[in-house]
Amino acid sequence: MYDADVIVIGSGGGGAVAAKELGEKGLKVLVLEAGPFYGNKQWQNPNSERGGEWSSSYHDLDIGLYKKTYNLYENNMNDVVSGAIRFGPADRRRDPWHRKMPQQGDIWQASGVGGTTQHYWAQSPRAFPSAVDHIWPISYRELIPYYEKVEATLPVQFSPITPKEELFYYGAKKAGWTLNPTLNVVTPGYRPNPNAILPPNKHLMDPNYSMEQLNHMEGCTLQGHCVNGCTSGPSVDRIAKRGTLVSYIPLALKTGNVSIRPNSFTINILTEQDPKEGLRACGVQFRDTWTGEVGELKAKTIVMAAGCIESPRLWLNAGLPYNAWVGRGLTNHYFDWVGGVFDEKDLLSILGTTSVFPYAGHTSGARVDIPGIGIFQVSCLSPGLMSFLTYGFSEAGYNALRPPEPGEPWNMRGRVVGPELKELMKHYSQTMTMLLLTDDEVRYSNRVEVDPLLKDENGPIPVIHYSPSAKTLQRRDKLARYACETLQHAGAKKIIRSDLPTGFLLHIESTMRMGHVVDSNCEAYQVKRLYIADNSVHFNGIGGPNPTLTTQALATRTADKLAHKYFGHSIETDK
Amino acid sequence: MQEAENCQLPADNQTLVTFRALVEAIVPHTPELAGFGELQTLGAADLGVHYYLAWELDHTLALFFGIHLTNFPLAASTARLLNVGAVQFAAASQLIQPINCSHWVISPFSALAPLDRIRVLAMLEQLRVDLGTLPPPYQNNGGNVKFIIDYLNRATLFGTYSEWSAYGSTRLCTPTERVLQSFPIGWEQSGYPGVSLGYRALRGFLLTIVRDKGVSTIV
Ligand SMILES: Cc1cc2nc3c(=O)[nH]c(=O)nc-3n(C[C@H](O)[C@H](O)[C@H](O)COP(=O)(O)OP(=O)(O)OC[C@H]3O[C@@H](n4cnc5c(N)ncnc54)[C@H](O)[C@@H]3O)c2cc1C
Ligand code: SF4
Repeated sequence: MYDADVIVIGSGGGGAVAAKELGEKGLKVLVLEAGPFYGNKQWQNPNSERGGEWSSSYHDLDIGLYKKTYNLYENNMNDVVSGAIRFGPADRRRDPWHRKMPQQGDIWQASGVGGTTQHYWAQSPRAFPSAVDHIWPISYRELIPYYEKVEATLPVQFSPITPKEELFYYGAKKAGWTLNPTLNVVTPGYRPNPNAILPPNKHLMDPNYSMEQLNHMEGCTLQGHCVNGCTSGPSVDRIAKRGTLVSYIPLALKTGNVSIRPNSFTINILTEQDPKEGLRACGVQFRDTWTGEVGELKAKTIVMAAGCIESPRLWLNAGLPYNAWVGRGLTNHYFDWVGGVFDEKDLLSILGTTSVFPYAGHTSGARVDIPGIGIFQVSCLSPGLMSFLTYGFSEAGYNALRPPEPGEPWNMRGRVVGPELKELMKHYSQTMTMLLLTDDEVRYSNRVEVDPLLKDENGPIPVIHYSPSAKTLQRRDKLARYACETLQHAGAKKIIRSDLPTGFLLHIESTMRMGHVVDSNCEAYQVKRLYIADNSVHFNGIGGPNPTLTTQALATRTADKLAHKYFGHSIETDK
Repeated sequence: MQEAENCQLPADNQTLVTFRALVEAIVPHTPELAGFGELQTLGAADLGVHYYLAWELDHTLALFFGIHLTNFPLAASTARLLNVGAVQFAAASQLIQPINCSHWVISPFSALAPLDRIRVLAMLEQLRVDLGTLPPPYQNNGGNVKFIIDYLNRATLFGTYSEWSAYGSTRLCTPTERVLQSFPIGWEQSGYPGVSLGYRALRGFLLTIVRDKGVSTIV
């Protein structure tokens, strides 16, 4: 009667982890993923042909196909409308899946095996303990063994130093920040990013090895394409940047218990009434994104990991019981972005080179953590992405029409246009940029809902509203000041604060919050046997740190709890 | 399901003229930079980024209409939004520089001086406009107006400084059929060496995580 023990919906940051953990426990797992499966023999031309249906074998993974798709070109990879990594069907002739967001901004999520971790930058810090303890239904301590397990599995390691990190540390030290050698951040300070990136190739600095050779060996080559998906590695599962497509998915397939069906958009959750358990989940309906055919699968338990927008959308479209918190409480680290342009001679004296080399090294390799406020982290990108984030994407309008007041720690705020922009982009190589992550306060009014009229092939479409609280705004402003002061101390001659739009959504969290929609084991209060294992179960924005590691720790824990409750396994941390 | 794309752009002339004026105002042709090489003079319009905007806007929205998934092209209505904005801007006597009368009939937006075009964008973004006069999907929908004005800015930059223009004659094909034909001009202008297999840029380590029996220590 059942097709599997567990169906996992979505194979991104959280779903892939749940699948691997459950498969390792010997449970039979089916994963349904809306987008394509890149680097897999079953799909030779994943963006133009339907290809196979399921992949159940580690041997399906194919590094040649992987590198053919992940070609590192920024427009080809990242274009939100038509890029290889976008939120849309595998068929790139088709339009992306639409979300309505009536405000400035952009929702940056990706479909496909690996989900949004395909272009995440692999920063994998733990939550700030102060954002969890006495606030979440579970304690920080309870998370630690799961953090350890995920960090060892990915694995997570501190970033190496390349010129931009050196410049960042130089400025941070001069601005008075001290080194914080820890994974559990309770005081402010700077440190390298704990990144899910393999350590640099041991032969990287040895000219006897060509770059071509190094690219086919294990270890990061500091190629600086983390956002485009990374191509350094001898096989899919040894690629340097550890998105789940190359980390947890290969491990899941290796268990022999996990089958993955890409191109399968789950459109409904099937439930039944059980005399003892009450309402419980027992299956799903999904739509093949190539043929439009609708299929049905049954399982004893369901894990929803469709991400912070699609999980609530699926709940609502499936007509699951009303819960006032479904889709509510969205947090987003209300991002900001600042950049400093340096003189070549200053760079020469600090770094011994005239360039920041913004394109070399981890996309982001170092940070200043400030519990209670947030984080600023050096983050540098190729020019297309860098130009729009630094000079073209803002809630503050145009710098030329509304220049900042004198005395601010930035010389420019908002979009830059005209000859001034071209002059600035000429100095791209002398520009260090930083991403700012705010400790974002939960507000009930920030939400995902479904449109009463508009539909796509998968049902009523999501509508997103986000506006920061006064406290979040204050913290963000402080953070921008701290970051710009660090740039000043490093010697930047011009400083720009983009003032990114409120609706720039990358670190979406807490739309199906623990304690409101799911219990402390991440099982839905109102629908038994339905678990959630993506960013949406976070109780808040974890204080500002990048969210994925916490999702992965929770997904590991959730797999434990699920296997214990419904399959009689012992809990791993009790062993 | 949509048909496979050919590489033609359906956008009409008015749309392209309007977008050309837009991208030129954001990333202009700059003869004054000739001293740094002819290449530095090229602006977004020289790179054809107005075609990029039109292509993207025409391929971004698909919704159910009746019982079919239907593509809603947005380029023409977005260009019209800019032109309606320009007319209202001029009517409110906000112009700072004279208009180019010969362009007015084709595209009022393109008839404005570059900085006035930016002022029109600001006016629209701040919703200082009669929302009822705008074309759908912007009519009486301030949220959509804010979204699209911001989008036009960032897409112009992404089109200019990414490799898009270097797809040359294939740049308007479906993405899987595009072929790179030269080194991207925006990359050259910004001194980006292009995609790379790696850099010998390692300068050491500040901290290292050491794991032993499920416990991490930092050295
Ligand atoms: C450019 C960028 C950089 C980032 N950098 C970092 C970083 O350095 N560190 C960090 O911690 N975070 C980073 N993030 C955020 C990170 O990507 C997310 O936190 C993480 O991917 C969230 O995991 P998730 O499982 O919640 O969702 P996702 O990873 O988005 O996975 C959801 C999956 O479900 C699939 N899906 C959705 N609906 C359905 C459906 N109905 N049926 C079947 N499948 C469905 C989707 O296609 C997708 O594959 C970054 C994000 C972006 C965009
Ligand atoms: S720096 Fe390069 S090699 Fe290293 S992880 Fe990022 S993309 Fe891969």
